[in-house]
Amino acid sequence: MGKFITIGERLSTTAPAVNKAFLERDPEPILARAKQQLDAGATYLDVNIGPAEGYGPELMKWAVQLLQSNFDNVPLALDTSNKDAIEAGISVYNRAKGKPIVNSADAAGRIEYVDLAAANDAIVIALCNGEGIAADNDERMGYLQTLLERGMEHGMSEEDLWFDPLFLVVKGMQDKQMEVLEFIKMISDMGLNSTGGLSNNSNGMPKNIRPIMDSALVAMCMMQGLTSAIVNPNDLRLMETIKSCDVFKNNTLYADSYLEL
Amino acid sequence: MALKGLDIFKMSPKTNCKECGVPTCMAFCMKVAQGALPIEKCPHMGADVIAKLSEATAPPMKTIQVGDFKMGGETVLARHEKTFVSKNLYAVSVSDSMENADQVLADLQKVDYERIGERMFVEMVFVTYAGNKDAYIELAKKAAAVPGRAIILDVNCPTCAKEALEATKGAAVILNGATAENVEEMNALATEYKAVLGVKAENLDALYDLTAKIEGMGNKNLVLNASTESIKAAFADAVQIRRAAIKNTDRTFGYPVIVNAAALAAGDQALQAALASIFTLKYGSIIVMEGMSYAQALPLYGLRQNVFTDPQKPMKVEPGIYPLNGADENAVCAITVDFALTYFVVSGEMERSGVPVNLLISDAGGYSVLTAWAAGKLSATSIAKFVTENVADKVKSRTLILPGKVAVLKGEVQDKLPDWNVVVGPNEAVQLVQFLKDYK
Amino acid sequence: MPFKKTPQTFSAAIKAVEIGTGDKAITIGGENVLPLYSFDAEIANAPKIGVEILDTGFENAPAGLKAFYEGCTSMADMAKKAATIEGASFICLHFEGADPNGADRSVDECVADAKAVAEAVDLPIVIMGCKNNEKDSDLFNKCSEALQGKNILVLAAKEETYKAVGASAGLAYGQKVGAESSVDINLAKQLNVLLTQLGVKQDSIVMHVGTAAAGYGFEYVVSTMERIRLAALGQNDNTLQMPVMTPVASEAWNVKEAIASEADMPEWGDVETRGIDMEVVTASAVLAAGTNAVILRHPQSIATVSKLINALM
Repeated sequence: MGKFITIGERLSTTAPAVNKAFLERDPEPILARAKQQLDAGATYLDVNIGPAEGYGPELMKWAVQLLQSNFDNVPLALDTSNKDAIEAGISVYNRAKGKPIVNSADAAGRIEYVDLAAANDAIVIALCNGEGIAADNDERMGYLQTLLERGMEHGMSEEDLWFDPLFLVVKGMQDKQMEVLEFIKMISDMGLNSTGGLSNNSNGMPKNIRPIMDSALVAMCMMQGLTSAIVNPNDLRLMETIKSCDVFKNNTLYADSYLEL
Repeated sequence: MALKGLDIFKMSPKTNCKECGVPTCMAFCMKVAQGALPIEKCPHMGADVIAKLSEATAPPMKTIQVGDFKMGGETVLARHEKTFVSKNLYAVSVSDSMENADQVLADLQKVDYERIGERMFVEMVFVTYAGNKDAYIELAKKAAAVPGRAIILDVNCPTCAKEALEATKGAAVILNGATAENVEEMNALATEYKAVLGVKAENLDALYDLTAKIEGMGNKNLVLNASTESIKAAFADAVQIRRAAIKNTDRTFGYPVIVNAAALAAGDQALQAALASIFTLKYGSIIVMEGMSYAQALPLYGLRQNVFTDPQKPMKVEPGIYPLNGADENAVCAITVDFALTYFVVSGEMERSGVPVNLLISDAGGYSVLTAWAAGKLSATSIAKFVTENVADKVKSRTLILPGKVAVLKGEVQDKLPDWNVVVGPNEAVQLVQFLKDYK
Repeated sequence: MPFKKTPQTFSAAIKAVEIGTGDKAITIGGENVLPLYSFDAEIANAPKIGVEILDTGFENAPAGLKAFYEGCTSMADMAKKAATIEGASFICLHFEGADPNGADRSVDECVADAKAVAEAVDLPIVIMGCKNNEKDSDLFNKCSEALQGKNILVLAAKEETYKAVGASAGLAYGQKVGAESSVDINLAKQLNVLLTQLGVKQDSIVMHVGTAAAGYGFEYVVSTMERIRLAALGQNDNTLQMPVMTPVASEAWNVKEAIASEADMPEWGDVETRGIDMEVVTASAVLAAGTNAVILRHPQSIATVSKLINALM
C-alpha cells in the first residue's frame, strides 16, 4: 500500500483573501498559501476557483502554471463546476509528479465529469451521491456502481476513480457517522481508492475542537481503508495522526524522525 | 488470493435485478467476495464465471509431492510477508555418459548430518539420458537404489523413459522430459507410472503454452524447467514464473521450478554454490548440482534453513548440555536460551576462546535472553530447575555462568543452587572470548 | 492465451553514488528494479566487488590466501597485489588492528598506511575500522582528511558516531559516508535521516545494514535488505534509496565452517575451500537480497562472484 494522500484544501475561493488574489491574478497570497501547505506535507493541492463563469479557463490556466512553475510541477486537483476551466487547466498541466484530479463528479447532474476525466487521462473524485444525501449504504453502493461503470465504459482504469463517501457533519448527523465509515470499508474491500472532505464532520464546532475531531476521524477512516482526504495540511495534529497511521498501516517504515519527514 | 468484489462484478450481469435479495449487483459481488453470500444466489451468473470463481479460491501455487518430499505451495514472494513453506531440494546429476557415475552416487551420500533438528542431505538424484539406453536404465536403477532419495529421470525419449520407469518402479520419480514434440506420450507415461512430469521448452512463452496444454490433458502434477541456456535466462525464468503465479495469480505457472546449476556452471563448483545461493532466495524448488561437498553443503544448507524459517516461529535448538572445545565433566557451565541465533553466536564465540565450556541450553520458548526473561521463560526458578534436573548429575563442575543481561537473577539463582558458584558473564557475546580466557 | 510478461519496474530508483576518482572511479546504485532483475529493466550499474585487506596481515590465513600475498610487507604492497585480481574494483582497508583491546595500532600508523595505499593504487578506497566507536571516529576523521580529493568511503557511521563521522568525512572533507545499522530496518532509515539532516547529501551516503554468515541468523539479513528495497522502490521512500554495501569477508571467514581445521573435522575437507564457499554463498545471497557492493577476501571468491554478476547483467 502507498502512503495516505493528502490534498491541501486551502486554495479556495471560499477564503476571501484567496478569492481576491484569484480575481486580481495576484501571485503572492496564492504562492504563500501553497508553500505553507506543501511544507506541511500536502501531496496534492486543491485549486478551487469557484464557478468562475466566463473567465474560468483563463484563470485556471494561470493558477496551474503559477503553482507548477513555482513548486516543481506540484500535482493539483482542479476544483470547479466550470468544465471548460478544468479542460483548460489540464491543457497546460505537467504530469511529471502525478496526474491531475478532476474535482468532482457525482452520480446525478455531474456524472459527465467522469467522461471529462476519462478523455483527459485524469483522476476523478467521484461523489457517491445523487440528488440529495444517500439514505443508506445500498444507495451509496448504487451510485458507486453507476460511476464506476461510467468510468470503465470510457476506458478509465479503476484506480483513477477516487470514491468520496461524502462525509457528514456530526452536529446534526451524528447517527450516520458509522455508516460512512462502513462504506469506506466497502470501497476498500473492492480494492478501490477513496477520498473526501473529511473536515466536514466538524463543521460548526469550536475552532479548538475541530483538529481533535478531524484527527480521530482520519484515524478511524484509515483503519477502514480510506486512501486519501481533502484536508487542511496546516493542522499539525491531523498531519501527525496521518503520519502515525501510515506507520501502523505499514505504508511507511518507522524511524524515530518519522514526524519530520 | 481470492477475487476482489470488483473482479466478480466485472463478470456479473450488472442488471440490478434484485433477485438475489441485494439491491445492486455491485453490493452482491462484494458480499460474495467476502464469503457472505454464495455466488449461486445469483440466477443469472454464467457457468464459466462460477468455474472461474472456484479456481480463484484455489492456492496460487500447487504443492507437488514426490515421495516424502514436498515442493511449492508458496503464497508470498518475500519471506517477511508471511513465510516460505517448502524449502528447496538438492539433486546431484549423473548421466550414462559419465565414467564415474558410481562414484558420484556414492559421494552424494557422504553429506548427511543434522543441523538444529533438520537432516541435511542430497534429497534427489538427477539422471540424465545422454544416448546409451542400456547404460541409462542401469544407472536409473542404481540411482533408485540409493536409499531415501527421489530420482529425476531427465529423458526426452519416450521409449527410453518407459523402460526407465519400468525399471525403477516403486521409486519416487519425476519424469523430466515433456517437450512440445513428445508431450502426449510423456504425459501418458507420467500418468501411468504416477510420476511427477517435468516440463521443458526453449523459452518462457513456449513453456507456458506447453504447461497449459498438459493441464488441458488433465495433468496438474508438474514441475517446470528453468532455462539451461544461460544463468541470466535461468534466473529470469525462475523469478518470472514465481511472480506470475503469486503476484498475478496466473496458475498456469503455479508449479515448482527445477534449476540445473550443474548444466549452467559445468565444472565450476564454486559458481554452482553461488547459483544455489541465489536460487535458494529466489525461487528454485529443485537445484541440480554436479556434486555436494561439505564445503558447499555447510553454507548452503545453513542458508536454506535460515531462509525457510517461519518469521513468526524463531528457530530453536534442543535444550541440553553442549560440550565445547573438548569440555568434560569438570569444565565450567554457562547457561543461555534456546533461541538458535543466540546459540550460534554464543557457541561461536566460546569456540573461538578455546576454553572448554559446557554450554547449557535451557528451554526458553525460542526467545532471546532479554525477551525470555521479560516473558518469564528465563527465571531463577527455570534455571535452577534445569540445572538440578538435567545437569547436576552429569557434570562435576559447580561453576555456573549466567548471561550478563540477566545479572539481576544472580542472587536468586545462588539461593536456589547453594552448592554452585554462580558467576555473571558478559553482556555481549563478543566479550566472551576475553571473559573465558580471564576466568580460566 | 499466451504468457503475459509483466516487467516490474518502479518510478523510484536507488541513488547512484560514486566512489573514487578518475578512470577507476566506481558508481553503485542507480537501478529501478529489484536486485539482479536485469530482465525487468537494464541495471544502471552492475554490483561491485571490493578486496578486503587487513592491517593485521594474512599470517594466519589459509595457505592459498597467504601465498597470494607472499612477499608483501605493507598494506600498500598488498593493495597493489589486490588490484590485480580480476573482478575487483575497489580496495577495502580494514583496520581491525586499531582495536584498543587488540593490537592497538595508533591512528597515525593507520592513516600512514591508508596514504601509502592511495599512492600505490588508483582503485577507490573504502576504510573499515575496528568496531571501537571512539577509535573509529578518530580514524575516519584523520583518514578523510589525509585522503581529501580521493572520494573515499568510510564504513561506517553508527548511531553513536554519526555526528562526528558525518561532520568530518561527509561535510568537512567531502568524502562518502557509510551508515551502519545492524539488521535493524528502522535504525537504518533513522541514520539516513539524521545524516541528511546534518547536511550530508543523499548521494554521499551508502548503507551498511548489517550482515551475518549464511546459516547464522541470515534470515534477518535477507528480510532487512528485501524490506529496504521494497520500501525504497515500491513506496518511493527517499530516506531508504541509498545503495547498500555489505562487508561479507569479516563474517564469512569468522565462523566455524571456515575456521575449524581439517584435522579437527576430517570429513569436512580442506579448510580454505570451506572458507571460499562460505564467502561465495553469503555474498551471492546478499546480492540477491539487495546489496550493491560486497567486500570479499579470497581471490577465488572474487573470481566466482564476479562471474556470477557478469552472467546476470
